This record gives sequence, structure tokens and C-alpha cells, in this order.
Amino acid sequence: MPSSNPFLDLARNAILGPTTQTMNFGKLLSLPDLKNSDARVTARLIYFTSVGLIALSLVFFLVISLVAPNLTGRVTVMALMTVLVSFGNIVLVNYGNLRLAGTLLITLAWVVVTIGSITAGGISAPIAIGYMIVVLLGGVLSSNRVNLYLTFLCIGTGILIAYAETNGLIPQAVQYTPSARVAIYSFFLLAALLLQSITAGNMRGLTANIRKSEEKYRSLLENIPITTYINSPDENAYTEYVSPQVKKLLGYVQDDFLRDPLFWIKIIHPEDRERVLAENIRTAQTHEPFNMEYRLITKDGRSIWVKDEAIFLRDESNQSEYWLGVWTDITSRKVAEEEQADLISVMTKRTIQLQTGADVSRAASSILDLDKLLPTVAELIRNHFDYYYVGIFLVDASKQWAILRAATGEMGRQMIAAGHKLEIGESSMIGWCILHGQARIALDAGEEAVRFRNPLLPLTRSEIALPLTARGEVIGAMTIQSELSSAFSRADITVLQAMADQVGNAIQNARLFTERAGLIKELEGRNTELERFTYTVSHDLKSPLVTIRGFLGFLRDSARTGNMERFDRDMHRIANAVDKMQALLNDLLELSRVGRLNTLHEDIPFGKIIQEAVELVIPPSDETRVKIIVQQDLPVVHGDHLRLVEVMQNLISNAVKFMGNQAEPRIEIGQHGFDQDGKPVFFVRDNGIGIEPQYHERIFGLFNRLDPTINGTGIGLTLVKRIIELHGGRIWVESRLGAGATFYFTLPSN
Amino acid sequence: MVGEPILVMLVEDNVDHAELVIRTMEEHRIANKVRHFLDGQSALDYLFHRNEYVDPQLNPRPHVILLDLRLPRVDGIDVLKAIKEDNELKSIPVVVLTTSEAEKDVARAYYNHANSYLVKPVGFEEFKKLMDDLGFYWLGWNTNPNIRD
Repeated sequence: MPSSNPFLDLARNAILGPTTQTMNFGKLLSLPDLKNSDARVTARLIYFTSVGLIALSLVFFLVISLVAPNLTGRVTVMALMTVLVSFGNIVLVNYGNLRLAGTLLITLAWVVVTIGSITAGGISAPIAIGYMIVVLLGGVLSSNRVNLYLTFLCIGTGILIAYAETNGLIPQAVQYTPSARVAIYSFFLLAALLLQSITAGNMRGLTANIRKSEEKYRSLLENIPITTYINSPDENAYTEYVSPQVKKLLGYVQDDFLRDPLFWIKIIHPEDRERVLAENIRTAQTHEPFNMEYRLITKDGRSIWVKDEAIFLRDESNQSEYWLGVWTDITSRKVAEEEQADLISVMTKRTIQLQTGADVSRAASSILDLDKLLPTVAELIRNHFDYYYVGIFLVDASKQWAILRAATGEMGRQMIAAGHKLEIGESSMIGWCILHGQARIALDAGEEAVRFRNPLLPLTRSEIALPLTARGEVIGAMTIQSELSSAFSRADITVLQAMADQVGNAIQNARLFTERAGLIKELEGRNTELERFTYTVSHDLKSPLVTIRGFLGFLRDSARTGNMERFDRDMHRIANAVDKMQALLNDLLELSRVGRLNTLHEDIPFGKIIQEAVELVIPPSDETRVKIIVQQDLPVVHGDHLRLVEVMQNLISNAVKFMGNQAEPRIEIGQHGFDQDGKPVFFVRDNGIGIEPQYHERIFGLFNRLDPTINGTGIGLTLVKRIIELHGGRIWVESRLGAGATFYFTLPSN
Repeated sequence: MVGEPILVMLVEDNVDHAELVIRTMEEHRIANKVRHFLDGQSALDYLFHRNEYVDPQLNPRPHVILLDLRLPRVDGIDVLKAIKEDNELKSIPVVVLTTSEAEKDVARAYYNHANSYLVKPVGFEEFKKLMDDLGFYWLGWNTNPNIRD
């Protein structure tokens, strides 16, 4: 189970020992060096026992040859068997075949003792004591159960030998001299001593070795620059061990973790805790390796990043299960990663800003139509930065309001359609920004968190407002809004303001262009008007002349023939034509005076103008049937008092004049909202005969009269139009034949 | 002029001018009958037999039309267009008789197939002469199409 972490492998080896065993076959007769401690003990026992037996056998052979020459033959065979089998055992041990070697050794001992007892004096022969050695060997080399059988085997063998001896089935007992007895007893005592000392020495060496290796690994574990821990295998993951490096890592000591086994969960950063615990439960079920990076809170309150890697282990020998894990401090790596990510994000943002700047400036220099320029710019900025909403406000003529002129998305379209506007002043971001000519940021974050409440922009969580300036004058403002709580910083102002300045200049250019186009159009209009004027004058003034000169001839004829009746009629015609001509000349004079007069413009309540005009058209003494309804609270307008009264006088008298045979003649005068420049729109509505749509333009033309039977030169509406246009307003009519007429016009308010 | 009464249609909003034309024509026996209309709308109603002019017998087609340009309700040029766009009416000679000498008016009139453009002269003799010549040319010398209803 090799893992990616070398420390983890080290820690695992320290606890389990290496996973592979190495054998040296070159030294078959040497002491085997087995890594498994159980096997090593057994191997050493067999080895030393075999070596001891070889030595003892040789000594015993020599001693018996001297003290009991009658036994030499048998002793020689037994010693030889012992030596051969012992050598075989040493080789077997080196091949790792401990079980066979052990079995052979025990069998050898049993065979030697049994044969010796049978051949040399039965159960009372000294050699029978050797069964004790057999049982001792069994105790050392085999399990307790096997040794129990072995003991019964030895007792059984002894009983059989005794039975055979009683019944004379085996040869007569050999006579042992006391010295031979001593030699044999000594041999067995030495063998017992050998076994005892080998066993004891081995045990001592083994314990020392285990302690030494434990100390070695523990010191390694507790000195490497990682923190190791062992957790319980269940989902609770109780801490069972933690290495002392934890103090250096977290400031807490081992005891903190051991006293409270769930202490490690308590010091996980709150934002990370949930995902760490989820992974902990998952791996507790699947036993897959646990591998996470998360934050821990140190004792002094800092938050550090750790890499936590743990593997699930099962110890075969004592059946225990546990998690072995390491914590590595990766704070510096994480910090570097975060700094890099921040840097990349800042650079990406700057790149996008530059790109947008370039696109905006391209749009600004290429689009001269304000109605195209502003939406293009708004859309460009919104798209490039993936902002939620971008809107552009322009200051209106009254300098009181900022009117929304371009905005992104469906919500923007709705707001423009609804004529969204904000008062210039402290009451709104845009108003403030225009009043002070400064950018402003509002965030739904930090100490001065702002709640955004526009129902059409429900997702806005931060906003920046940038003034749009041209020639040092604030002409509007741009709002950029984001769904993020802190999308704008001081650094953004610089870049976005540069962009806003370009937009401001572009607006100025577009306005100048539009103004120029407007001037050209106005000039063309003036030219056309002049042409029409010349034409009208030549035609309309010539008309009475034709009459006068024509009837002068008939006058002479009538005088000659004495037809005085025709003479009088023709005289009357001539006089009318002269009057008509004089009226036309007066009107023309009036019209040209309107254009030239540089009169004083003042603020006048529009209601007052209406009142004066109504009195002129219908004097209070006049018991007229026409009902005039004037709306209350009309705004104050700015203009030439007398001329504006003239306008109303003309419109009202026109309405009266074209009432037809209306049973309940009624004229309504009032205000109908504002136009897109913020000028009030007034109206004069009558329920008279109305005007067919094809004449809606012509009625304003000089001397154009729809009904020659009605008095007048046809100058009234021309004059009205001229006066309103000179005030910067506009006039138009809405009417259908028989459905009355409504004249709308705009005038500047103060 | 063989036994057939000559009918002149005069469309003129200025009653004095109309009187001048009618009186001159009567004195010089240019036409048997002059029908005078004060505006374009009533002239068109007559020509297309609409409203009070429904009966073709009582309201025969004229032999020549004298048309002023600046007229209330329907403008002279529009009357001209309506006549010249109608397959049956377009063969009637239309003589524009107006005070305007503007090139634009002359061009527009001829563009819309006016047959002649005359400017009302300032002066009694000149007016009489114009009317004489007009009658002589359009109702005397000129061979008119056979106008049927």
C-alpha cells in the first residue's frame, strides 16, 4: 500500500515493519537473519540448539569412550545421528523451513532417547531422563498443544518400554558404572542448561531489539517536520495518538488532543468544517484514503492551511483497525497560490478594462448619433466586465433632473420607457455624483453596507456612479451595477473614469454634431420658409391687384354706359380688395416683427396668460355660449408675455371660430405631461368641426385657409407657430373631421 | 360649336376673380355657360357625379376647365391629378389660371399634365385679351375630343 507521501510510508514501516523479507542464501550455516521477530526467535532456538547438540554429542562420545567402553558402539551411532540431523537442521533453518527443522529436532531427540532406553537398560536406564529434554525442546520449538501431545507421547513410550521390560521383551539392562551414569546425567543437564540459556538469551535480546527499533522509529516519527496522528476507525475519528510536532504546528500540545478526542474537529476553520466532516464520514465507510486540504485555527488564533492525508490500516496480528494520518503545513504554498490567483485576476481585469476602453473609444469616435452611441457604450461595458446593469443618465435642460437615456437589458428598456429620472442632489448616487462631479462607490458589504432597493434591479449588490463631463461641465452620469457585494474598488475608479471621460467627450461631440445638423436643417427650413414667403406674398398680394385693376376697367365701362348699379357693386369690390391688401400687409409686418423682436423673457404663470387671452377673445361682458375649462395649477413658463398671450388668443379664437353648429361648444386648456426634454406640453382642445389629417401641416402655412367663407387672412396659426418656435417650443395638432381638434405645444418652463 | 352649348368649368376661390372671368366670357360670347366652383372638393364632386351632382344630365362634362392652383379643401394640383388620372376625364383640356408665376407651380402643373398654364394679368385690357385668346384658342381653333358622359 505505497502512498504518495514518503513520510506516510516511513510511519507505516515504523509500525508494521517492512513489507518485504530478504534472505541471504550464501551463508547457509550461519545464524539466519530473519526480519519477522517470531520466526527469528524460533530460528535462533533451533540454530543454537543444533550447534549445542553437535558440541555436546562430540564431548559425550569422547567421555563415554573413556568411562564406559562397553557403551561406545551405541553412543557412536546416536552421536553420529545427532550430529547429522543437527547439521541438516541448520541448513533447513537457513532455508527458512523452521517447521520441518523443529519437527526433525524433536523427532531426533525422541528417537535417540527411545532407542537408548530400549537398547541400554529399559526405563530405569539413565538415558530415559532424556524424555525431559524432548518435552523441553517441544516447549521451545512448538506450540503448547503440540507439546502436550509430545508429553503424552513420551509418557506412553515410557509405559510401553516398562511393559516390555517386565515381560522380557527387551534385552537385559546394561550395567552402568557410576561414572557412566554421571556422564549421562551431565549430558542431559548440560542439554537442559543449553536450552534454558538459549531461550532466555534470545528473549532478552529480542526485547532489547524491539525496544531499540521502537525507539528508533519513534524518534524518527517525532522529529520529522510533519505531525502524525492515529484516529479511531469509526466515523467519530477519535484521536488516539498525535505526535508532539503538533505543538509546533498549532501551538496545542499532545494532551489537548488526547484529553478531548474530538478536539481536532473543534479547531477546523468554520468555513471548512462541513466539507472535512463529510469526507471523514465517507472515507470511514469506504476505507478509501482520506486526502484533503483545509484550514485549522491555531492556539493563537491564526488560520493555517494543512494537507491531511490518512490511510486505513488493519493490524493482522492483533486485529486492530485505525486511521494513520499526517498533517503537513501548506500555508505558505496556499498563500502563494492565492497571491498568484489574485494577481491573475487583477491582470485579467486590467486587460479587460483596457480592451473595453479601446472599444468604448472606438465607439465614441465613430458614432455621432447620441441615441446609438449611449446604448452601444452601455452594452459594451456591461458585456466586457459581465456586470449586471449599466445605465447612462444625462442632465436635462432644467439642470434639475438626470434623465435615463441608455440602459442595458429588459429592465433598462422598461425604465427608459417609464421615463426614469433622478433629481440632481443628495438623494441618489447619480444625483450626488452629478452635483459633486465625483465618482462614488456603494457596496452591500463592509461597515457601510448599502441595501439596494430598485425593484427592477433586484440583484444589484454594489454600484459605482461616474460623472460624465464635457468641457469641465458635468453633463450626466453613468451607473455600473454588479451582483457581487464588493465589485468595485478605488483602483477601478481610475480606469472606469477614464472611460467615462471618453464617453463624456463623445456625448459632447455627438451633441455638437446634432446641433450642427439641427442648424443646417433649420437653415434649410428658413430657406424654404423664405421661398414660400416670397411665393405667398407675390401670389396673395397680387390677387387683390388683379381684382382692383380688372374692375377698374369695368368701372370705366359702367360710367360710360351709365350702369350705376354695376358701378357701385364694382366700387365695393375694389374697396374690399384694397382692404384685403392692407390686412395682408399688416399681417406680414406683424410676422416679420415677431421674428425680429428681441423682447424681454420672463417667468409668467401659464394660468395668467390663459386668463388674459380668454378676456381678449371673449370679454367678460359677452354672454357667449362657449364654455372654457382651464386646468388649475399650471406651471410657470419662461417667455415673452405679450407674444404668449397672442398665441393663446389665436388658438382660443380659432377654436371658437371653427365650432360649427356644436350644441354645447366647449374649450379645454391644460397641461399634458412633459416632452422628452422635460418641457411641459400644453393643449387647447375644442369639440368643433375638426380638421382632416391631410391638412394638419397645411393649417400652419402662411395665408392658408381651409374655409374661405370664414373671416381672416390665414395668418393666425402661422403666427402662433412662429412665436412658439422662437421660444424653442413645438406645435402640432391632433384631430379628425367632426371630432374636434386638440392643439399641443411645448414651452420652456423656468 | 355646331349647335352644341359650350360649357366652361371655372374653379376659383376668389369670387372677384371669378366675376372677372365670367363677365369677360359673357361679354365676348366665348361660352354658352360657365359653371363656377369655389373649392377643389366641390369641383371634383361635380366631375365625378358625387353628392348633389349625381345626375349626369344636369351636370354634363365641361369642354374646358379653368383651374386656380391655391384652393381651399382640395388643392388645385390635386384636382388636376384626379382629373388626369381618370381615364374618362383626362381628355378634357385643363387650363391653369392663377396669380402665381412661381417656376415650381408651372413645373408641377405641367408635370401633372396640365394642358396650359396662364398667369392672371394685372390690368383690365390684358385680362380681356387673355380671355379672348383663350376662348378663341381652346374653344374656337382647337379641335376638342368628343366628350361623352
